[in-house]
Amino acid sequence: MLRIQLCITGINYILTYIKTLLQYPPGKPRLTSCRSPEKETFTCWWEPGGDGGLPTTYALYYHLENSETVYECPDYRTAGESSCFFNKNDTSLWVNYNITVVATNALGKNISDPVEVDVVYIVQPNTPENVTAVVVHDEQGPFVRVSWEKPRTADTRSGWITLLYQLRVKQEKDKEWEVYDAGMQKYYNVFSLHPDKEYMVQVRCKPDHGFWSEWTQTTYVKIPDYIPRERSLWIMITIFSVFIVLILTWTLNVKRNSVKLCLLPPVPGPKIKGFEKQLLKSGKSEEVFNTLVIQGFPPTTDYDELLVEYLEVYDNEEQELVLDGKDLSEDCMKSKSPSDSDSGRGSCDSRTLLLEKCMEGREGSGSGSDQHQYSQHGETSWASTESSESQGPAPGSPESADGRGKTWPVVFSSPQPQTHHHYQVGAAKPAYHSVPEILNHSSPHTTPSNYHQLHHQDIPQQEGRFSKPACRHSQSYNQFNLDGVGTPAPGVPPSPSLEYVEVQRVNPENMLLLRPLSDPNREPEGLDCAGEDYSKVKEVTNNILLLQRDTSHQCVDYYSQYLDNQADQCTTQQPPHPCKPAVHQSNSRMPHEGMRVMGNGYVDSTVLMPSY
Amino acid sequence: MGLSVPAVAVLLVALLCLDPHGRVGSAPICAHGPSGCHVPSLADLFDRVIQHSARMHSLSNDLHSEFEQYFLPSKNHIGKIYRKCHTSNILTPNGKENAQKLAREELTEVILKLLMAWRDPLFQLHQSMAHQQDFNSFSSNKALEMGDMAHELRKGVEKVAEKMRVLGMLGNSVTGLSAAEAMLPLSDSGEAMSDYELLYCFRRDSNKVQNYLKILKCRIVPEHDC
Repeated sequence: MLRIQLCITGINYILTYIKTLLQYPPGKPRLTSCRSPEKETFTCWWEPGGDGGLPTTYALYYHLENSETVYECPDYRTAGESSCFFNKNDTSLWVNYNITVVATNALGKNISDPVEVDVVYIVQPNTPENVTAVVVHDEQGPFVRVSWEKPRTADTRSGWITLLYQLRVKQEKDKEWEVYDAGMQKYYNVFSLHPDKEYMVQVRCKPDHGFWSEWTQTTYVKIPDYIPRERSLWIMITIFSVFIVLILTWTLNVKRNSVKLCLLPPVPGPKIKGFEKQLLKSGKSEEVFNTLVIQGFPPTTDYDELLVEYLEVYDNEEQELVLDGKDLSEDCMKSKSPSDSDSGRGSCDSRTLLLEKCMEGREGSGSGSDQHQYSQHGETSWASTESSESQGPAPGSPESADGRGKTWPVVFSSPQPQTHHHYQVGAAKPAYHSVPEILNHSSPHTTPSNYHQLHHQDIPQQEGRFSKPACRHSQSYNQFNLDGVGTPAPGVPPSPSLEYVEVQRVNPENMLLLRPLSDPNREPEGLDCAGEDYSKVKEVTNNILLLQRDTSHQCVDYYSQYLDNQADQCTTQQPPHPCKPAVHQSNSRMPHEGMRVMGNGYVDSTVLMPSY
Repeated sequence: MGLSVPAVAVLLVALLCLDPHGRVGSAPICAHGPSGCHVPSLADLFDRVIQHSARMHSLSNDLHSEFEQYFLPSKNHIGKIYRKCHTSNILTPNGKENAQKLAREELTEVILKLLMAWRDPLFQLHQSMAHQQDFNSFSSNKALEMGDMAHELRKGVEKVAEKMRVLGMLGNSVTGLSAAEAMLPLSDSGEAMSDYELLYCFRRDSNKVQNYLKILKCRIVPEHDC
């Protein structure tokens, strides 16, 4: 038993010893803060530094500036633990307090660092009180009016302290507060709050020189739901757009026609260039048709220079074709007889020309060369040369191919894309076929006249025929073989002064070799060649009409070739220009032989007529 | 005639409008009484004065904290030896009750005394701050402004007192400050106070002035601000 007691005692002593080893004087206390809520009292707090294992006591001592009197804290309790409260009597403003805290324990004491305090500058008021947030309904929308009261302790009424207020608002989910300064007033209107949301409101205050108070307890406010401005905006937008649509519709309706025109442009109807309906309606058909007339068609100007006015063929004797008035008149009369030809007799009727010539001087017989010029419409002029007397070689004949040995005109520089071919040349004019008519009529007379007639009987009435050498190759080319002129003379009444010559060929010297049609030397060989009294035009180059002389057998061959060519050409021709080698069988009296070469080498002038 | 139309017009105007007596007089302000012009009320005067004093105090506060920040290493208040401010001789209420116990005239007089006492020291402060290279021009300008403000404030408070006297609120016990009252800021040892001490003292005194004015105002013209 004793041992136990001794052990226990020993242990106690040891523990006590240990305790004393661990005991220290108190740690240094520290004044944490001093605050005055209303600038009339203030409180200071300290924290102990460590008790050192021993019970320590703390005491606060202070002295005023410029005074050595030390006072101890009058009130340790009011403000709580480790605090010192200075009441109104002990508080002096505009005076520095020098405050220290002393901690004392059995082993010693410890003094805190002194703190200089001027109460005026440590004012921190209490929080505002009775914070209320009320939703106020306004025209522009509801807002929240937050109101509060001053902290109870602050005496602002006497002007001793001036408080400035501040509030903050946020939704629960927001991170940041929205802070508003309210100044010295005790209410504030908060706008721009979202409807149907709950907000938190807090208020605090501060003296003009001092610290901010703590925030009040949160006050919740719920914004009621209302028609937001956005919706009214949508309503306005809708109405506006409806209005716009109405206006557009009305405008479209008014301008319906022009819209239709714009979207569906009308297909232009057929229109004849130069043709005006109005003129038609007005009834002046001449004006209408005048507009259709193409100026410059058929081209006349080009041909003026090409026209061979006449060729003067002179014999030694001046011979002029004497037109036998009687026969001429007969002929002329006969020529007047209408034929059944309807093959486009043009206005230019060479018969009239012939008539004119008929009426003109009737002079010598046969010898005069009268060149008839069928210059109307720019056609070729038949050279009816003077049937000069047989001069034998007629040396003068080459020379007598006088003068205006102009070239055979290209009858028709047609705008057709055809080369200058026989076709063109053959694109004769009405005058052409009128000539054969004349000759047709005069055919029964054949020889008696001095006319160099163009045997047309063997040649069907065609347009665009030229005199062809009757495939007589035996003629001397370089001479006018006018021998035959005179031979029929005895039987020929001297009356006809008009003689037609047949163009045999054109030599390179631009001389026409003519041969009187009444030449009895002429061999009727040409029958095979279909009585070719017409020279076949080989080609026209440089305004030179090249005529071809072919033999009889060659004629056929040539014709066949020609036909082939023509056929080829026909095939190569474009559809708009139907190749019509057919010949108008306008005259019933056309000999049968002529059928053989019908259309060969001769082109229907209609083919060549440019189709307008 | 070389004279243009404007010159002729000027001549005409001059002839018509010039005072033949050649003397310029001035009409007294508000000669016709309240109907003539706006006479500020006492409340307005007080508001102006209080605002002025608030501005003055904020200036002094800024200067003091600036001084403390740059020129005194230890922010702690330990070791600061403050000489007594030269205005400590003036008895000033150090509490609300004390201040409320004072009569209006005394309170007004205290204010005026304080402001008067700082007229010369503030001038000195500005001078010394301007001469020292340590201060930037901004600070010396503040000191100058502060001095001017104190001067203006004193004038304003005098006007307020005059107004109150006119209104019969003040007795005739308020006397003008005599020249003897204007004392130099000499410490006990006779040395001039340093700039920092001056700033420290002025900050306190400007706060006093502002507070006293507020009390005076709320006592005389209690309004919603009080």
